[in-house]
Order: sequence, then structure tokens, then C-alpha cells
Amino acid sequence: MSLLRPFLLQTNCLGRYNTGMSMAENPSQRPLVVLRPQRGKASLNLLEIWQFRDLLTTLAQRDIKLRYRQTALGAIWVVFQPLLAAGIFSLVFGAIGKFPSDGLPYFLFAFAGQLGWGAFANTLTKSGNCLVQNSALVSKVFFPRLILPFSTIFSTLLDFGVGLVVMIFLLAINGINPGLAILATPLWLLALMALGLGLGLFAAALTVSYRDVQYILPVLIPLMMYATPVAYSLSAAPPKLAVILAANPIAPLIEGLRWSLTGRGTLNWLYVAYAVAFTLVILFLGMVYFRNMERRFADVI
Amino acid sequence: MSAPDSPPAMAARNVVKKFTVGGSGYAGLKGRIGAALKRATQEKKIVVALDNLSLTIEPGETVALLGRNGSGKSTLLSLFANVMKPDSGEIAFPASIDPLHPRLSPLLEVGAGFHPDLTGIQNVYFNGAILGITRKEMEAREESILEFADFERPEYLNAPVRTYSSGMFIRLGFAVAIHTDPEIILVDESMAVGDEAFQQKCFAKMDEFHAEGRTIVFVSHDMNIVRRLATRAIWLSDAQIAADGEPDQVIRDYHKAFGIPD
Repeated sequence: MSLLRPFLLQTNCLGRYNTGMSMAENPSQRPLVVLRPQRGKASLNLLEIWQFRDLLTTLAQRDIKLRYRQTALGAIWVVFQPLLAAGIFSLVFGAIGKFPSDGLPYFLFAFAGQLGWGAFANTLTKSGNCLVQNSALVSKVFFPRLILPFSTIFSTLLDFGVGLVVMIFLLAINGINPGLAILATPLWLLALMALGLGLGLFAAALTVSYRDVQYILPVLIPLMMYATPVAYSLSAAPPKLAVILAANPIAPLIEGLRWSLTGRGTLNWLYVAYAVAFTLVILFLGMVYFRNMERRFADVI
Repeated sequence: MSAPDSPPAMAARNVVKKFTVGGSGYAGLKGRIGAALKRATQEKKIVVALDNLSLTIEPGETVALLGRNGSGKSTLLSLFANVMKPDSGEIAFPASIDPLHPRLSPLLEVGAGFHPDLTGIQNVYFNGAILGITRKEMEAREESILEFADFERPEYLNAPVRTYSSGMFIRLGFAVAIHTDPEIILVDESMAVGDEAFQQKCFAKMDEFHAEGRTIVFVSHDMNIVRRLATRAIWLSDAQIAADGEPDQVIRDYHKAFGIPD
């Protein structure tokens, strides 16, 4: 792959170069690339992301390499953070609040919820910050901008993978067999990360002009967590309240992931269908919004 | 150098580029709320960076862009590099020969892709990927890149880039960028950095690129560099071309306009 690829792609998305011409040594026989102002709606052109997969993986590797640099405990934080959160939840909601937990040890119950929440929230945070964090790249080098938010999902995937190993270990020592439900885990994860990415795309594009988003997100995300059945179960809420809580599209996905990881709890498929539809719409709109804003990123970042 | 019917290496036709100052910056939301409260329309200042600019650069030319800070030189390079889009008009250039041959090396800012916490070597590969070179190709070029960068203290290659001096940073960034085998080289005020020996090496490389028939467009405030390298100089002033021609003549006009003795 090469720098040229950006230019060929650029022409692809503008659709203004003569295809089928041979790439001859003589410049006069080469297709002419013409860059014009983009008007109207930008096309999604997801093919670009595939064509730039080298850069995508390089950025992902860089993310993973850079994480926990200059920390004493290093990668142990990947395990520590959800364990710590689950510990506090089981103390507050389990031991003190005596919330129901579908018959599971509260720690296990909260850890499963936290795994799902982490996948969603980390995707949202990282993709939301990616443009500002890479502003030097955005303003100096051409590449499809969608690569940046997409590249952030890999380190979150790695975190989830490590968390999953801990989860399986916890299941084993508690003697809990989730059964076949565990096979659906990747689907819940996919939905949670897609929702996080969709919202993150909005956040990233907005942050370019409004750095306010950087201050709002860290406040909003923990608040959202308490509005989501991460540390408690939807079944613990009074039925009327449960309906309102389930209007939060993250809720059925977290409950679904927990059902997959533990084999306990009941799923309301209506809620799940709503959450999945919501996720697809947000992801699509997020990409459309991002693509339509990106032409100005280098000007204002 | 090239056939008479060959298209220009780079052409700008009636390019207009405007920036909004203040209106959509970080103060945007606050400004908008404030304006809404005051029932006043928000004050937006439009700055025209390039005003109906047309320019043709032939293959093999080494073009120096002159002008005061803010005269639109970097904006023009950003448009050539496809980092920014024109507000109207168009930029045109022939597509690359083959996909493994980068057509254009955006040396807009040397080491722009360097991450402060990655080591020099890691950044070489990372920057390569950004500029469109695969890991395998970079491996083949690594030795040559490090030779060009020629660190006084090679142990720094495995240290994070944030510990580098600005000179070391430029050396490594420049070395990576020139190893992307570009047809058109865009350089934004980076050659003046680095020690004398390194500068000479950069000049030699530019001469080599020129001899190979590659097109170079660079921005510089150092008239000695302009005289040394350029075959043509373009003076940008007030978003338009004030002068275009022989470097010596353009430099004289430029100096006269600002009362600087030659």
C-alpha cells in the first residue's frame, strides 16, 4: 500500500477520474486526479477503510503499545479496573443494598456487567477523543479520517478478551456453567461496541469544533452507567420503572451479555430488538455525520 | 525533461480557501449561547487564505513559496497534499504510476506523525504506515533511513521520541519522509532546522530529487535556501500571487517591498 492509494481513493469517492486507463510511465497517459470542493452529502465509502487496513492495524498496534506506558503495574490495570469496580458494586449493591442478582454471587454478577459496560464506555471514550488526540496527523497527512475512530476499537477488544479470561476463571471457581448461551457473547459485544462507536463518531466530530464534549463525556458516562443495569439487574427494579430503564438501549445489551456469560436471567427479546435497531441507526447516523463533518476537520482542529 | 503534451505536475485553478475565525472555534458553543441570549447575531470573521489563485507547476520544477507568515503558503501546500479541501476551484495532478510508488510525500511538517511515547524505530515504522509504506517495504529501507538520520548517539533510536532534541526529531522525520520515494515533494519550512552538515545532506538529497526529474514545492523564509534550491519562486501576498518567476528576481521584489536590503 502506498501514499498513492489515498489519491486513488480520493478520486474514487469523487468519481471524477477516467477508470480503465493504464498507469503508464508517461504522465500524460495517467488519469488526472481532480480535487474539488465536496458539495452535498458525502458518501460513506466503507471500502476505504478496508483499503487502508495497514494503517488501521498500525494505529491499533500503536494504541496497544502506548497504553499503560510509564505505569508501575502496566497491563495489570486491564484486569484490575473491572475487578475493582465489581468489588465496590458487590459491596454497595450486594452486601449493603441486598439487591437480587439472578441467584449469582454478586461479585460475579457485577463483573459480568462491568465487562459489558467497559466495552461500551471505552469504545465511546476512545473513539470520541481520537481526532483531537491525533490532531497533528489530521492537519498534516491525508488518510480517510474514519480510520482513526475504527482503530480505537482493537485495544478495547483486547481488554475485553483479558476480562473474559478472568470471567471464565470466576465462573469455574464458582462452579457456574453458562451453557450454550456463552456462544452468543461476541454478538452482544459487537452490539455494545457498535453503539459506543456510533456515539463516539458524533462525539469525535463535535469535539473538533467544541472541545466542550471532552468535558461532558467523563461526567456523562458514569451517570449513564447508573442509569444502566450494570451493577444491578433490571429485574430488581419495579416493573413500571423497568420499562423506563429498558428505554435505555444499552440496558438490554448489558443484560444480554450477562445472560450469555452466566446463563442466568431472562431476556426480553422485544427490548433486545429495540436496542439492536437503535444501535444500527446510531452507528449509521454517526458515520454519515462524521463523513459530512470531516471535510472541515483539518481547517478547525 | 518531459514531453510537451505532458500535463502539469500540479495545477490549481481558481482556488479559493476561506477560514472562519472565531465563529466555530472552541468558543463556538459559548459564543452561540451568548449571542442567542443577547439576541445578536454571532460575529464571524471570514479570512480568505487563498483568493481565486491559479497556478501551474511543471514536472521537474523546484518551486519556492515565499511570503509573510499567514500569506497562505501552508494552506496552498495543505490543498496540494489533500489535507484540506478548496472552497471553490480545483486542484489537479496526474495519478501515481503504480500503487507501490507514493506520488506525493507530504513533508508538510516533518515528523508530524511521530508519537512522543514511541521509540525512534517504532516511529519510523509508524510514520511509514501513515505515509503509505508497508512494514515489509520499511524493513528494506530501515538501514538507509537510519544512515541518513545519522544519529550522533544511536542509542536514542530505542528511546521515546519525547526525549529527543528538536534536531534529532527533524533528522529522523526528514529521513523517513524522503524514503517514501515520492514524485512530488512538499516541504513546509523544515529544512532550516538541523545542523549544518545535516542541512547540506538535505540539500544534496533535494538536488538528487531534482536531477531525477521530481517536482519539489517548498516553503522557506531563508532566502539562501531559496537561491540554492529553487528553479522558480512564487511570492504569495494577500491570498494572491504577487510575483512568480526567477528566484533572484522574485527575492529582489520581495525584499524591496519590505525594505530589506539584499
